[in-house]
Amino acid sequence: MNKKQKYDAVIIGGGHNGLVTAAYLARAGKRVLVLERRPQVGGSAVTEEVFPGYKFSVLSYVVSLLRPEIIRELDLAGHGLEILPLESTFTPLPDGDYLVRWADHDQTRRELYRHSPRDAEAYDDFGKLMYHLAFALKPIIGMVPPDPTSLSPKDLRALLNLGKHFQDLGPEQFYAICKLMTMASADYLDEWFETEPLKATMSASGIIGTFLGPRSPGTAYVLLHHYMGEIDGVFRAWGFAKGGTGAVSESIAAAARRFGAEIRTESSVAQVIVKDGRAVGVALEDGEEVYARVVVTSVDPKLTFLRLIEPGHLPTDFLEAIRRFRIRGSSGKVNLALGELPNFTSLPGDGPHLRGAISISPSVKYIERAYDDAKYGEFSRHPYMDIILPSMIDPGMAPPGKHVMSIFCQYAPFELNGGWNDEKREAFGDAVVNTLAEFAPNLKDAIIHRQVLTPWEIQEEYGLTQGNIFQGELSLFQLFFLRPAAQWADYRTPLKNLYQCGSGTHPGGGIAGTSGRLAALNILKDW
Amino acid sequence: MKDAYDAIVIGAGHNGLVTSAYLAKAGLRVLALERRELVGGAAVTEEVFPGFKFETGAHRVSRLHPILARDLKSAVAKAEASGLSQTYGKPEFVACDPTVFTPLPDGDHLTLWRHPERSKNAVSRFSKADADKWTDFSALVSKATGFLGSLQEDVPPDVLSRKTSDLWELFRLGREFRRLGKRDMTEVMRILPMTVRELLDEWFETDALKGTLGAAGITGLFQGPMGAGTALMFLHQHVGAAPGVFRGVGILRGGTGNLIRALEAFALEAGAEIRRQAWADRILVEEDRAVGVALANGEEIMARRVVSAVDPKRTFLDLLDSVHLDPSFLRAVRNIKFKGICAKVNLALGELPNFSCLTGDGEHLRGLISISPTLHYLERAFDAAKYGRYSAEPYLEAVIPSLHDPGMAPPDQHVMSVFVQYAPYHLADGGWDDAKREDLGDIVTRTLAAYAPNLESAILHRQVLTSLDLESMFGLTEGNIYHGEMTLDQLFFLRPVPGWSRYRAPVENLYLCSAGAHPGGGVTGGPGFNAAREMLKDVRGS
Repeated sequence: MNKKQKYDAVIIGGGHNGLVTAAYLARAGKRVLVLERRPQVGGSAVTEEVFPGYKFSVLSYVVSLLRPEIIRELDLAGHGLEILPLESTFTPLPDGDYLVRWADHDQTRRELYRHSPRDAEAYDDFGKLMYHLAFALKPIIGMVPPDPTSLSPKDLRALLNLGKHFQDLGPEQFYAICKLMTMASADYLDEWFETEPLKATMSASGIIGTFLGPRSPGTAYVLLHHYMGEIDGVFRAWGFAKGGTGAVSESIAAAARRFGAEIRTESSVAQVIVKDGRAVGVALEDGEEVYARVVVTSVDPKLTFLRLIEPGHLPTDFLEAIRRFRIRGSSGKVNLALGELPNFTSLPGDGPHLRGAISISPSVKYIERAYDDAKYGEFSRHPYMDIILPSMIDPGMAPPGKHVMSIFCQYAPFELNGGWNDEKREAFGDAVVNTLAEFAPNLKDAIIHRQVLTPWEIQEEYGLTQGNIFQGELSLFQLFFLRPAAQWADYRTPLKNLYQCGSGTHPGGGIAGTSGRLAALNILKDW
Repeated sequence: MKDAYDAIVIGAGHNGLVTSAYLAKAGLRVLALERRELVGGAAVTEEVFPGFKFETGAHRVSRLHPILARDLKSAVAKAEASGLSQTYGKPEFVACDPTVFTPLPDGDHLTLWRHPERSKNAVSRFSKADADKWTDFSALVSKATGFLGSLQEDVPPDVLSRKTSDLWELFRLGREFRRLGKRDMTEVMRILPMTVRELLDEWFETDALKGTLGAAGITGLFQGPMGAGTALMFLHQHVGAAPGVFRGVGILRGGTGNLIRALEAFALEAGAEIRRQAWADRILVEEDRAVGVALANGEEIMARRVVSAVDPKRTFLDLLDSVHLDPSFLRAVRNIKFKGICAKVNLALGELPNFSCLTGDGEHLRGLISISPTLHYLERAFDAAKYGRYSAEPYLEAVIPSLHDPGMAPPDQHVMSVFVQYAPYHLADGGWDDAKREDLGDIVTRTLAAYAPNLESAILHRQVLTSLDLESMFGLTEGNIYHGEMTLDQLFFLRPVPGWSRYRAPVENLYLCSAGAHPGGGVTGGPGFNAAREMLKDVRGS
């Protein structure tokens, strides 16, 4: 071993995937160092006290996809992770009505029946099919993508197994997956349901984080994600982390530390040091150089390959593929400190509907219109919103009697006509608040503080290129063996000893940790 | 009268004729039933106004299935020898040059040609960078369309079968794909599910070029260029095109009807019988087998096999009693997306349109005229359709067939065929009516007149066909020109419905040979050819 090598692995970025990789490598006995640019770990999964007394899950706000095996293997519960259930989805409607889907099956059924008896019937069948499909796709999500163009025995075997896996599913499930992978979420739901707000709210989960509308093909398969979290039934994995999303990152960091990993915050990596075609360490902004046997990057592919590595070290084909990797940001976040709870006209009072998600998605058309604005470079005048009130679930998030509200809002294109500035940011904040106030008129007066994050802020502060929350769009042509680039979907890179473990790799975004785990396992395989 | 025929073909559109011809050629007694007086389905030439002949439906043809093209040639030669060609003529393809002319609102224009170098020069006038990429882009498109073309010639594989023969087919497909080479294989897989805008943005910067090429990607789809699946449609529209030739569609001298007459000659020569004004009302089923067809006039014609050239919705929901089909199959058929989106405007002109950006009757009028200045223009046209309105500024694809065959119009006069998008079948404010139809017609002529100011005064007659009219005239459900939308979820082994992509149906002895089956729409004869081949396998096996 080189004398300079203090570490076996140095990990660029202390987001949840970086931490997961660190924990798994440390657990295998490797000396690991995580370098985080910001003062706290977590990347986009952080809790910050933005205003005194008010804590926010500043960006990522729900935990739905965190893999049960990671929770188990890293004993995250033992390291402080507690997930509080978040189980209703409330969609207020402009005509004074509403639609709520509750945790309780019969209650949901009654509510759906009120809108459409046919849909109430179909809802169960739909849920069952989705559950089975999610189960069918689980091994694919959890595998290192094979290279379909390769003739190596390893890849061929993986491909044959994949083929066999699909054949074993039988026609109903196999064809349903084919349709889900290629259809628009709204079109797919049209085959099942007729209630507009139901279709809109469900299809909205297919557009989160994408630069697509619910009628754009390629949005249907994300519907499955909502059924993924519940597969194992071991751990309730759909909800809100006590203490905010930052608590997820903290628990992974705690696990990593316990296995012996070292985590340094306020350590910004300037460059990957390359010698003789191999990554040998990283240089920090302050000039310090850290050497390690392998370097693992958890930041997005564009940042990694176009900014942290001198272009001469990478093949031009690969660089071209990374340049073509689509990473358009489309969403913003508005965090509100509230003096009182919002009072919805359609369902007044502080009932249980405020303990779950609140979705501003009255119709598919509404979301399509929001998308139309963005297509032509404007933010949505009436955006789609996915809202939660964390203080309703975890009172520790706000001072007594006060509340915090987290609003995920779409669409806010990174490439806004004329570019983002303070004025436009606040105009976007106004559009969000005004739209929401149409459903809950007391909202404007209840606001004590407001934080607006556009894709621009998300890029500048949290390092996500173009503010894309998935580190790269989850389009069909950027998934599986094509994520982030063909032939480099197995967490390796064209640079020897440099690995990737971020959401820019298979299976992509969300606080799942799968990328981090698969990357670690692959690194250990190469060791 | 039992089994007067070995096979009855319902619908004598071009696919129905192709199937009839091949079945008859194999020695079967074949009867084709056509509802109209005119055969050809949506590929017909009609004299709509005295002296003016129009291709009322399709005004261009795609690449014919290669074997069909060859057989048709020899059939035409035979017919010529036997004297049939006196009546049936000879299809004569015109390779339009330029391929496409796009007038631009700023007074400029972009014209692409049959010679790649000439197109490249035209592009370089706008952007040197785009011109530099022209050859590479052409090569990529050519490779991708080559592979797609090979897929179209064959029956889709049964992906879930474990039979050796089916696995062998899959293996063969894989091997075909591997021929692309590692790099292009990945590239083709990557671009297939894209939006045409994403594809073109990766290559070019010129809006006019992206609008001109991107328009091919939206043809017949309920999608704008920012919708996924449009890259595939772009490629589909270029199957069979020579490398570097874009939007170079085939036009028939004398109209698409001339191809139909050749196909008719082919079928008749092979011994098929064609009955016009014979309206198939019902497919007769006995013991879960198709045994014949009942006509609207009550007549019943028995046959050993029935082949439907009408679209899958009509076949399974209208012509068959639902008791013969299981609910999950019916549900799948009901869920086939049709989403009719096109209209057709046929104009009889007293003089040629005179474009302000390129005046006179030069060669620019001899190819496609495309009103598609930018991708944003196309996307905005689509936005209207999303909310159930027809575009205020539609995408237009026009041809002037009389420039290639003066016989289509009286001397010095012309016919112009305009394909219009988007004009959705389902309108938000009630259905189509006469006022809306004429309003659409006005929008189309006004849109053209913005580029060719003399157009409006040159119009002698105008025929406007909305998607509703296309449905009633040609029997196309929702006016969908492809017999079912050609999106990723409805192609290849998923067409017309998953599990039934091999031209057979859940009712024994019933087959599908329409564009609703693989490889889908366009005047290719592909579905008709493949269906005949599959059915003949069964005939030989039984």
